[in-house]
Amino acid sequence: MNWSNIFEATLSAFFGVNAMYYAIAAIGLNVQFGYTGLLNFGQAGFMACGAYGLGMTAHYFQISFWWGIAIGIGYAVVLGLIMGVPTLRLRADYLAIVTIAVAEVIRLIVRSVRFKVYVGGSDGINEFSASYRRLSPYVESGRYPLSPFKAEGAVPYVMLAAMLAIGLVLGAATWNKLGKRFPSVPQRAGVGLTGVVWMLVLIAASLRVEYTGYSLWTVTVGWTLVAIFSVFVWLLMRSPWGRVLKAIREDEDAVRSLGKNVYSYKMQALILGGVIATFAGMMFSVERGSVQPDNYSRDLTFYVLTALVLGGAAKISGSIVGPMLFWGILAFADVFLNELVKSNGGSVEVFGIQLIGNISQVGQIQLMLVGLLLILLMVFRPQGLFGNRKEMALDGR
Amino acid sequence: MTLRTRHVVAAVLLFCALAGSLWSPARAADTTIKIQVKDQVQVDGKSKKIPVAGVSVSVVDASGAEMGAGVTDDKGIFVVALPGPGDYTITLDESTLPTGTALTAQTPAVRQVKADDFITANLTINYFTGEANRTTKSFIDKLAQRTTDGARLGLIIAMCSVGLSLIFGTTGLTNFAHGEMVTFGGLVAFLFNVSWGVPLWIAAPVVIVLGGLFGLVLDAGIFGPLRRRGIGLVSQLVVSVGLSILLKNFFLYRFGGRVRPLKDYSLQTSWKIGPVDITPRDFTTAVLSLVVLVAVALAIQRSRLGKATRAVSDNPDLASSTGIDSQQIIRIVWFIGGALAALGGIFRGLDEGVGPDMGADLLFLMFAGITLGGLGSAFGALIGGFIVGLFVEVCTLFGVPTELKKVPALVVLVLVLLVRPQGILGRRERVG
Repeated sequence: MNWSNIFEATLSAFFGVNAMYYAIAAIGLNVQFGYTGLLNFGQAGFMACGAYGLGMTAHYFQISFWWGIAIGIGYAVVLGLIMGVPTLRLRADYLAIVTIAVAEVIRLIVRSVRFKVYVGGSDGINEFSASYRRLSPYVESGRYPLSPFKAEGAVPYVMLAAMLAIGLVLGAATWNKLGKRFPSVPQRAGVGLTGVVWMLVLIAASLRVEYTGYSLWTVTVGWTLVAIFSVFVWLLMRSPWGRVLKAIREDEDAVRSLGKNVYSYKMQALILGGVIATFAGMMFSVERGSVQPDNYSRDLTFYVLTALVLGGAAKISGSIVGPMLFWGILAFADVFLNELVKSNGGSVEVFGIQLIGNISQVGQIQLMLVGLLLILLMVFRPQGLFGNRKEMALDGR
Repeated sequence: MTLRTRHVVAAVLLFCALAGSLWSPARAADTTIKIQVKDQVQVDGKSKKIPVAGVSVSVVDASGAEMGAGVTDDKGIFVVALPGPGDYTITLDESTLPTGTALTAQTPAVRQVKADDFITANLTINYFTGEANRTTKSFIDKLAQRTTDGARLGLIIAMCSVGLSLIFGTTGLTNFAHGEMVTFGGLVAFLFNVSWGVPLWIAAPVVIVLGGLFGLVLDAGIFGPLRRRGIGLVSQLVVSVGLSILLKNFFLYRFGGRVRPLKDYSLQTSWKIGPVDITPRDFTTAVLSLVVLVAVALAIQRSRLGKATRAVSDNPDLASSTGIDSQQIIRIVWFIGGALAALGGIFRGLDEGVGPDMGADLLFLMFAGITLGGLGSAFGALIGGFIVGLFVEVCTLFGVPTELKKVPALVVLVLVLLVRPQGILGRRERVG
């Protein structure tokens, strides 16, 4: 059993591409599910909007790549209206049913033979990310270690400072006091100390991680987007508008009695969350340079939901750390089980019962763990790691 | 999600290899039958052959034991590994051919091969479908055929959704794992029928009871305790999503990703009743479904238990105060819902084969059905499920491609919610 392999895979998954686009999708879902209490089970549909917006623009409309972003957002707004108009006046579970159905129908339509000439059928759309790649400041095939000790010039100091800043934010989040003041000295010291511990974890995590120039460009753009959306949503939720959303989650009738147009607020939240999620779809597709319809199945929505609940819904920190941990756990389970199978000569038996007969079962066990994780979280810790239990006492009736 | 897709693809490939090796215990897998299905079409005056994917074919040996079964791939090919040259029967399921095509007279659906036919170890069996042989039926005839198919699908959806709707009515839970309860029925039936060789008519009652017990276990192990702890309905809904992920991947883990047919009643020639082609199997399942559904409807309307169930649906507190044990009713509803879902899974499995996604694929149609009928009402689920099944099949006559036949169901769902969100039989106050 090669433990250093296992830890390396786990740690690099924290900052990997998957965690990045899950984080963007989770920030969007957080606006809908965490803050407004909307059960959007069609996040994969919104992500597909972004991906197909970019793909169709570059490949079929033959206009600038940048129009694709606008077109993707346009799709998401239309999709939000389709999902929201019939359901947002009704009880919460109707939205869940319609969103899951609409997202599935989008997948069926884009992979159908009938619409193949427009969206590429089950082969999807390929090779459209040239404009995006040309913007990259990195050498595409170059190797870039993430460790601050391997870089040159002023870069290590910038990286260390960034890690300290992220560590302090995580430290404050760990103390569950993000957005509050820390008046007493011991409290500040506690936060600072936890921040330093987080920074050390980050440094340890970065030591053996190395990116190619291409994936470093995606990681840079992606995590920058995560930061921008996090600050944006954080500011929004402190605004009067955000307080109305949270009030709708707590008691819709009370908000209505104060003269607010609940329907309109819910619609805005649904569309805003969807538009943020389109960027996850865009990052996912430009990173691969291809759009595949079957990537946007409903399982994707459920995994994003699990990642968000793991971190803690209705918390900015939850929507970032949740996906990181989610992919960390998945990568750990993946590499650990694979190593276990390898070191046991192809199959794993416990008390004479064959648990893993072939390597493909590792993926299924991994995803069974995801389901189990979601159940256990909702039952025993619905607030996830960083959330507030009172905020997650959701009730549809 | 590529990670998952990659694993599933790997799982499917590996499972095929594994299954192939299981079917040929002598490991002399170098003898094969390659089955090719091609469509002959006239393009610009020239005849072209286009592979037909997704056609179910199976091979059995002289004793009737199945050597292999599956669907043709993108190249229209399905290969079966055999223990050696011998007498085999190859059958193509004509109902799985694309709509509007038929086999040519030269290549009938059932073919016999003898040991002498294996000149080399690899024998190729060709099936051709053709334009010339396309059955040109009148619109009315096609409508009758589609209506029959739609009615069969509608009955299965209705049967599966009764439990979904009753569970919603009595507990308020929108159970996203209900599709997996259908899959459970199909897979357990496969286990009995194919793996252990138990005839399906003996196995079916056992599977139905097991399906009911599975429902009971879900209630006693997960949702019952959640209700007692007072966990919100939305949280319970998310728990059911987690359960659905868990169960689906468990099925994939134990069963593999392939869709496989049940053994019994798989090779049948169609009856012609007027313009409609229907196999005796499909006719029987349709009649049985109808009998079961009428029995369920009568039980809900007439029996004490049915009345108690409706009382708990209307108002659990009031029902409890009149002496109804509402927890007992909820347990019974889970049992009946699970049993009906399992029966639906068996019928669906006979129709389309069993696989880990078979129930989840129906879930959306079930939701459309119970929303149309009125969430929480068992009658509503019966009527709504039936209408949705009928509608999606008949729609294919009016220009909706078969691959998109779920889209009209979504249109129904959205229109119902816009116009009459309580559904046909629902009550208005449930909705707001």
